[in-house]
Amino acid sequence: MAAIERKADANPTKAFFVRIITKDISLEDCILDLIDNSVDGAWRCEGSRPIGLQDGTDLSKYSIMIEATPDKFSIIDNCGGMSLDDAVEHAFSFGREATEDHDDYSIGVYGIGMKRAVFKLGGNIRVRSTYDDKGTRSAFAVPINVSKWLSNDKPPWDFDIEEDELLPNNGVEIVVQELTPGAAGAFESPAFLQGLRRTIARDYALHLNRGLRISLNGSEISGWKIELRQSEDFQPMRLEYKDKADNEEVSIEIIGGMAAPPPESNDPEEEADNEKQPHGWYVVCNGRIVLAGDKTAISGWGTDDWPNWHPQYAGFIGIILFTAANAAALPLTTTKRSVDITSDIYRRARPKMREVSTKWIAYTNQRKQAADEAKAKEALAVPVSIYSVAKRATVALPALVSRPAGERLANVHYSVPVSRLKKLAKELGGINMSNREVGLKSFNYTYDDLVGGE
Amino acid sequence: MGSFNVVNYSLRPSKSVQRQIIFEGVRLLHDHLDLDGQVYVGFGSVWFTDFVLAHKLLGIRDMVSIEADDVGFRRAKFNAPYATVRVVHGRSTTVLPELYKDELITNRPWLIWMDFDYEFDESMKDDIRALIENATENSILIATFNGNEMKYGNAPERPERLRELFGSVVPDELSKKACKDERMQQTLADLSLDFMRSVAAEQRRPGGFVPAFRAIYKDTTPMVTVGGILPAKGAARVASDVVKRESWPCWLSKPIVAPHLTTREAAVLQAQLPRAGKLSRALVQSLGFDLEDDQIEAFEAYYKHYPAFAQVIS
Ligand SMILES: Nc1ncnc2c1ncn2[C@@H]1O[C@H](COP(=O)(O)OP(=O)(O)OP(=O)(O)O)[C@@H](O)[C@H]1O
Ligand SMILES: [Mg+2]
Repeated sequence: MAAIERKADANPTKAFFVRIITKDISLEDCILDLIDNSVDGAWRCEGSRPIGLQDGTDLSKYSIMIEATPDKFSIIDNCGGMSLDDAVEHAFSFGREATEDHDDYSIGVYGIGMKRAVFKLGGNIRVRSTYDDKGTRSAFAVPINVSKWLSNDKPPWDFDIEEDELLPNNGVEIVVQELTPGAAGAFESPAFLQGLRRTIARDYALHLNRGLRISLNGSEISGWKIELRQSEDFQPMRLEYKDKADNEEVSIEIIGGMAAPPPESNDPEEEADNEKQPHGWYVVCNGRIVLAGDKTAISGWGTDDWPNWHPQYAGFIGIILFTAANAAALPLTTTKRSVDITSDIYRRARPKMREVSTKWIAYTNQRKQAADEAKAKEALAVPVSIYSVAKRATVALPALVSRPAGERLANVHYSVPVSRLKKLAKELGGINMSNREVGLKSFNYTYDDLVGGE
Repeated sequence: MGSFNVVNYSLRPSKSVQRQIIFEGVRLLHDHLDLDGQVYVGFGSVWFTDFVLAHKLLGIRDMVSIEADDVGFRRAKFNAPYATVRVVHGRSTTVLPELYKDELITNRPWLIWMDFDYEFDESMKDDIRALIENATENSILIATFNGNEMKYGNAPERPERLRELFGSVVPDELSKKACKDERMQQTLADLSLDFMRSVAAEQRRPGGFVPAFRAIYKDTTPMVTVGGILPAKGAARVASDVVKRESWPCWLSKPIVAPHLTTREAAVLQAQLPRAGKLSRALVQSLGFDLEDDQIEAFEAYYKHYPAFAQVIS
């Protein structure tokens, strides 16, 4: 077929990067993207090794300080900074070039995180970097006035680079002013800031546990301690194997078991609480938790003969860690807030995840028939940090002897005002007592009073 | 609601001082914000003390008093001090949604004071959330609740209870210590204000929420009063400038504990004020009676707001 002389224009527009791709990511995830870059910097300074659980790397000399107020956002790290060459060649381009290869065990892979984050945050941006330039400290700054930059789409696209004063430490500082309404509104909200704090504590738990310091508005964040219970009867699994994605080697580690005894009831109120609990599956890519406490189809619940998550299963925690020199091999989404479920290595890992999950499910079912025995056994299991869980191909859970069927039971269900329930709970022994317990205790109390002991 | 059965206000000097201070703050706001046609919504009980102040001091005409108690409702109607006071029967949680739709008072700024005498609880939280979501711009929201630590469970249970009440604004690291003794009221004040700010930010109220009121007072039990302004977009700056001033009276770091004095004692002491030096115990003794040092100090701090008998029965 003969080609027509004219071509269909396929050039991107700046507005696409500033206004469109920023829509598909939450503000919180954007801030995590900036933290990821700092963490990658620190890891680079440490010589870029695999980030497994055993590795004892001490990150306590690295700090990342974030300030988020309704007028201004800033993040400053001492993680080595980016070089002028980095800035000139790739740091500010949209997307990495296909030929760039990365084998530094980073979490950065797509070449979009920083740009997307600052555009989401506001209109007046200044990125400063101080780095070691063959023995001498050098500095530069990249100021970005978004509306000015947007005014002209003609290539080449670039940002000015200025000379700058040295930062106190080698590292990067990003300051964003003229915040977008979304960012200003969020930074006004104590609930948003608390949520962000909690997310950072969770998603960077592995780094924070190694000493990395992250602070938000002046107060330091301490990482989640992820623990599983262990005893003679309860033994978490811990499995390691290697896989390949596009010829890149990926190490995989799976740990799973009981993090807390399962709940006592399936009261809807308590179910709601349950949703917020840390239980479920965790997926870690090069050290960063990208999916936390998952109870959905992403980690397999409700797929392939695997039941939907049910509050009865609370108490289980599973962690799967993917580690690869080239982050492109990891099952990451671009927002790093979930898993690419079409990834082959992830699909191949799923049956192994299912095995431990289904064992737990079976245990919680069995447990209903032998609650007392189960509780006694669970009480003996002590929390151990995931770092010290021993290798074990499968999870061990107690085999319970089921109780013979006894007297027929009656279920009682009624509603009362919360304020009255709380007052009664307080009198019965604790304001945080579950509704079910209050019901049971008040039944027993009335029973003893009116009917008398048996 | 219901406090008419508990104590007569004249026996609660700290409450009275607190009320005067809050109204003084609102009056200051009247100079800076567009509060024309302001409506007062509160729990007038059978005393209507705050309603009288709202009318006399702020010139508010239309007022709504919410009363849940059956007998209380009839008594309240009987005792309503002005023609423009409407008493509505029901719990705030059911009455407020009707008021948002009430043609007479929607689209007008409200001054709403949820002056509860029990502890912060789930329904109070729902009321406050709904008010922030529904109040017209330039409304002022104030809430008072019981800050007695025992109302929130035993010491080890309190952080969890607060988490249940205030949700995600509670810091993960909230300690048991922060929920004990006088710290408890401070913690309650901070968390409830954070909660209010978050609700406004979450639903992107154009002017946000400007925290403006924070007072703890104690007659027999420690009470917490918190609140703020829900300004129009253009008024947010002005509102926050006013409340950030040194002279803004309604952000108190120390609890108000006003001494219980007889009318005669109060009058004699007041005649000595203001003065250059501090009121001393020796001076009080020379006036013919005696008081503890902290009572003297408290009176001196609050004498301008100390209830005069006539005011209480008005
Ligand atoms: N805090 C930092 N310290 C050092 N280098 C940084 C820092 N922030 C950004 N950079 C440099 O900027 C580059 C671009 O960052 P950006 O987040 O946009 O993409 P990426 O991290 O490569 O990939 P991804 O889109 O997956 O995050 C990084 O690769 C790094 O070289
Ligand atoms: Mg990145």
